[in-house]
Formats: sequence, C-alpha cells, structure tokens
Amino acid sequence: MINIQDIRDTAKDLLAKGEVRGVIGWKAGTRGMDAEPVVITAPEQADELVWDPTCYHNLALYLVEDRKFLAHARKNADKPIGIVAKGCDARAIVVLMQENYFKREDVYIIGVSCENTGVVAEHKLARQLSGFAASAAAFAGDEFSFTTAKGEKKVPAREVMADRCLECRNPFPKEHNATLGEDKTGRTLAAPFAALAKFEAQGGGERWDFWERQFDRCIRCFACRSVCPMCYCDECVVDSIEMKVLPDTTAEEKANRIRWIERSADRSENITYHMTRAMHLAGRCVDCGECERVCPVNIPLRLLNNKMEREARERFGYEPGASIGGPSLVASFRDDDPGDFIR
Amino acid sequence: MSEQQAYEPKIVAFLCKWCSSAGSDLAGVSRIQYPANATPITVPCSGSVSPMYILSAFKKGADGVLVSGCHIGDCHYMEGNFLARRKLHLVKELLGFIGVEENRFRMSWVSAAEGGKYAQVVKDFVEDLRPLGPQEKLKAQRT
Repeated sequence: MINIQDIRDTAKDLLAKGEVRGVIGWKAGTRGMDAEPVVITAPEQADELVWDPTCYHNLALYLVEDRKFLAHARKNADKPIGIVAKGCDARAIVVLMQENYFKREDVYIIGVSCENTGVVAEHKLARQLSGFAASAAAFAGDEFSFTTAKGEKKVPAREVMADRCLECRNPFPKEHNATLGEDKTGRTLAAPFAALAKFEAQGGGERWDFWERQFDRCIRCFACRSVCPMCYCDECVVDSIEMKVLPDTTAEEKANRIRWIERSADRSENITYHMTRAMHLAGRCVDCGECERVCPVNIPLRLLNNKMEREARERFGYEPGASIGGPSLVASFRDDDPGDFIR
Repeated sequence: MSEQQAYEPKIVAFLCKWCSSAGSDLAGVSRIQYPANATPITVPCSGSVSPMYILSAFKKGADGVLVSGCHIGDCHYMEGNFLARRKLHLVKELLGFIGVEENRFRMSWVSAAEGGKYAQVVKDFVEDLRPLGPQEKLKAQRT
C-alpha cells in the first residue's frame, strides 16, 4: 500500500531541488469525499497532495492543458513538469508522447500503483452506504474505508470499484521516473471487456434500440470531449471555429462552409458525433473511463471505446499506450490484416 | 417518393481514382448492364476515405455506402489501400456494433481492367440492400 507521505515527499523533493516547475496531482476537494486535480509549484504545497479512491481524474489532461498554455504564451518550458500518474494516466501520457505532443524529457512521471484496487464508482457506493454521504475515502488493503456521519465503514474494494478499474489489467504505470506501490500488472479482478461481451451477445435490433435510447438523451454538453486527454485538437470537427468571417464574406459562403456534424442535439447528429469520436479514439483510448464518468446523462460511452480497443487488440494485435516509439493503429498496417469482408 | 413507386436503394460509391473509378468507366464503355443506383464519387485513394465521409453519406440519406480501391499491392500510393483496409474495418465493426445492418457498408477491390467485377459488385449490393428497405437510422432528422 502506498503511504501518502511518500508521494508528498517525492513531490517536495523534486520542487525543492528545482527539477520540475510544478507537480500535477490531486488534493482534497470541496465536494464531499471527492479529490480534485491540483498543480503545485512550491515545496510547501506538497502536503496538499492526496491519494485515495476518489482520485478519478486522468491527469494527463492537464499535461495537454499545460502544453496548450505554453504554446499560447509562446513560451518554452525550461524544466519538465511532474505528474502523479495512475496506470491509466501513464498509458495516456505514453499515447501523447507517441503522437509527439510532448517529449519524454518534458515530463517527470511519479507513478502510483492502484495495486489490487482502483477508484470508486459513486453509484455503487451509494448502495453500500444506505443513504449516508461519505466525507472521506481511503485505501485499506483490498478494502476501501469511508468516513460517514455514522462513523467509519469498510467496504471490500471489489464491490464499489468502477467497472473500468475492475476490468483493468495494467494498474501499474509502466512508463515512469519514480514509482510507489507494488507492480500488479496482469491482475484480473473481472474479465476484460466483460460489459462489452454481455452487450454484444444481443442481436443487432436490440443493440440499435439500446443505442437509439442512449443517443436520444445526449445533450451535446461535450463533457466527454473536454475531459478526454486524447481530444486535444485545436479545432474539433464538430465546431468550425476557424472559419474567418470578414466584412466581405457572403451569406452563401457562411452557409456553405463544411459542417460534417451539426451542433444541434438531434439523434442523427449525436450518433455521428459519438461514432466520430470513437473512430478518432481507436487505438488511442486507454480506457480511463472518464468520458463515461462525467456524462451527465449516463451514456455508456466506454462500450464504444472498448469495442474499438478490442478490435485493435484481437484483429491487429495492437495495444494503446504500450510503447512510445511504436506506430499508431490507423497509421500502420500488416500484410495479414483481415480483409475477408472485402469483395 | 410516392407509395406506388418501388423502393430503389441509393448507394454512394467512393471509388479510387486509379483503379475502381477507371473500372466503373470500363463497365460503362463496355456497355455492361448494371443497376444505376450507385452515385460514384472519385477520391484520390481508398486510403483517403475518412470515416466522416461514410457517416456523412448515411446522414444525408444513403441506403448503402461502397468504398472501392485498387487490389492489395497495386495501390498507386504504395500503401493507401492497406491503411484503408484497417481503418474501414473499424468503421464497419462500429456500424454493426450500434446496430446498423451489416450489409449497408461494403468494400471491394476493383482494378481498372475489371469492369465486369464492378458491375457485379453494384448488382450484388443493390440486391442485398433491397430487402433492408430505406435507411432511417443514421439519416438526419432535420436538414
């Protein structure tokens, strides 16, 4: 089990020696038990850092934000930035480096192992605490310990863990500068792609009925896009912000600009948006499950991304986030790729 | 379309400039009879077909989408069709996954000398699409 003080000491040490310009981590949040992301820039702030089962966020997102901020300010970073990373965060960082979004020396990864646990799923926890809200959560071996108004309650981690963590095989950050906790790579708490296999057992008609219901609900808040570390495009295909409207731009030009997807929350547009997103994430999604967690209308987005992930693994032997130097899924091919569907 | 008129599937065919487009041309100049349901769109290479093209075609009311390129190994750009094969396999799987009928999306390799094959591909596609009826799932509700 990871001692929280070790994370703080590592961060403090790095900042005091001036090896990094900041450390991205989690601190205690203001909403009940939930942690929230934080960037600390001074050694004395290191004691704010926490590590508990509510550290849901994929912090790789903030590396992207940092990069965008620097690019905007036309600055070059003189030192790397430190980041506390879970297994999934580290995989996301590897994918970003594979795509040359930043270089390996630009980031100092303090890897934390989830060991035999992961992060909490709020809806599962609610059933366990019989209506009482938890004010704090902590790791306790293979259990989670929650502080509620009725005192401390211990719950086996397996029962309240998020599905994405149960299905996770790599809870240990393979790419790292320093690590804390035991390497439990290859652990199996639940069968990988369990939810996907169950869903796929249905016929095409039922699958359509299901997705029709899901996509009808989408309100196009773009939370999934905002929270995704892989959705870093300056101009998303959904919104054509780059169209320059000048005094002499005619109404026709404005009307005829290419719009692949409308922004209206119609079913057809929602489907196109989510399908496009799934395609853009194929071979890049590291299954951190953040899109599904932040969705305000609970669309099971992980299913789409898992489908792509499993296709990549089974048909093309490709695993996202495995190596920095390797080619990406859709920019590479093998002579023996399946082609039996082609006439 | 009035009730009396028989349903005719609309196919959008993305044909690569070097092979399939010339193949469809050959079918024409050879006077091979084949259904007129396919609207050909010439693209530089099957590898240039973005998933957006396919989704967009369905959104605009296509009943079926065909992507056709050079045979493996014959790509004018060396590896375009290898990339297309991988990418469009994912698109096909994704369409099937959300419950769109599998027969609505098709890929074929048609060389410039295979006019007869192109005619056959379109013929088969139309026959497979007919029982499925109009494609309403991905079609835009508002235009």
